[in-house]
Amino acid sequence: MTDKMPTIMVVDDSPTAIRLYQYAVEPLAVNLKCFTSPIEALGYLQEHQPELLLLDILMPSMDGLSLLKNLRQLSHLKEVPVIIITSKDFTQDRNIAKQQGAVDFIIKPLGFKEIRNIVAKYIEVKPKQ
Amino acid sequence: MNNNKLNYIRFWGVRGSYPAPFGSHLRVGGNTSCVELRVDNHILICDGGTGIIPLGKALMEQQDIKEITIILTHYHLDHISGLPFFIPAFVPGWKINIYGPGNQQEIKQSVFGQMLDPYFPVEAEKWLADIDYLNNDQLEYGPFKIEPFYVHHPGTTYGYRIQVHDKIIIYASDNELSFIEKPLNEDEFEPDELQLIKTMQAEERDKYLNFFDNADVFIHDTQYTPEDYAKKRGWGHSSYIETTNFAMDANVKQLYLFHVDPNYDDTKIEELHHHMVKLIHERQSNMACHIAREGLIIDIDRLK
Repeated sequence: MTDKMPTIMVVDDSPTAIRLYQYAVEPLAVNLKCFTSPIEALGYLQEHQPELLLLDILMPSMDGLSLLKNLRQLSHLKEVPVIIITSKDFTQDRNIAKQQGAVDFIIKPLGFKEIRNIVAKYIEVKPKQ
Repeated sequence: MNNNKLNYIRFWGVRGSYPAPFGSHLRVGGNTSCVELRVDNHILICDGGTGIIPLGKALMEQQDIKEITIILTHYHLDHISGLPFFIPAFVPGWKINIYGPGNQQEIKQSVFGQMLDPYFPVEAEKWLADIDYLNNDQLEYGPFKIEPFYVHHPGTTYGYRIQVHDKIIIYASDNELSFIEKPLNEDEFEPDELQLIKTMQAEERDKYLNFFDNADVFIHDTQYTPEDYAKKRGWGHSSYIETTNFAMDANVKQLYLFHVDPNYDDTKIEELHHHMVKLIHERQSNMACHIAREGLIIDIDRLK
């Protein structure tokens, strides 16, 4: 019997950022679910509960702060740890994210090791076997 | 001349941050952000800074148009503080559509919050016009196709790409361009990481360049000199040099120096403009560059 692997969800409109996350968590026993569209991500979240969410802010259609506000309206996602990872480096954005319960706010760019360290800080992860 | 026959853009407020009604500032103008686009007897207003107050008075003096749409970039005071004094909102028979970041309820709260006790004597129930809060990401109003996009400014803030009569007008009053391209300490990354990160940054820059590409009119944040920007990095505004270079990179046709720091008097702004023209000359670009002055009118149908 194997332990259930945690699911990490990434929402970032940059396909290259998604690749960066994919390479970074490749050595870890996690499911990585990635969306470039925040609208599609919100649709998916209606019926799913990832263990960790990594959100960009500046995206088309809905920014990460609005996505965070919307997902906190869903009863099963009120406590899910959310990390904002963005190039938008403003104190006010940090405050808005904090008010919505984001556990961290990190400025891009991040390397593979930093991504793995952040993930390990908020959820229990094991190396892939 | 009957202005109603003309399809035009008119600047009613061009200052950033706060009104600057000082004698030394009046060639450029002291009102905060407000730009009117009037096309085919439809009026679209970008932002409700203090410039919307004289616009409201002008609207009351005409009879042809009784409906307008206001698109707000965000709710910082210099972009909404004219709305409590916007006369058409108080007059029955007017229809006013308002759009901005957030859902309909959030737009309403953000606009009316400044009219609550103890900030203002008259609350929003005195707005007797038919007020409608819009809730679409893709907007069409008469001949205008309006597309909001997110910009680098504290909180959720929009810029707008407006298409009308085959012309593209970009309105991005508040945008810190240098956050699009941060300098990298390349020693911190492995080669494969660095390649991905550089590609990611190029994507971010291309996203904006594509959005602004070939804009006929580019109304963009030029708040600071580089020296003042260095002191106010992270306040959500651009230096005029960054804006000029970015506009040229995006093949913009006409750049308008907008949302200028209220500390800068007319002479200083004219010096900045002179330097911008020199930068454009040095890059051998054909981009035109103008100071957005209060009262300046651009004929939309004559844009080339």
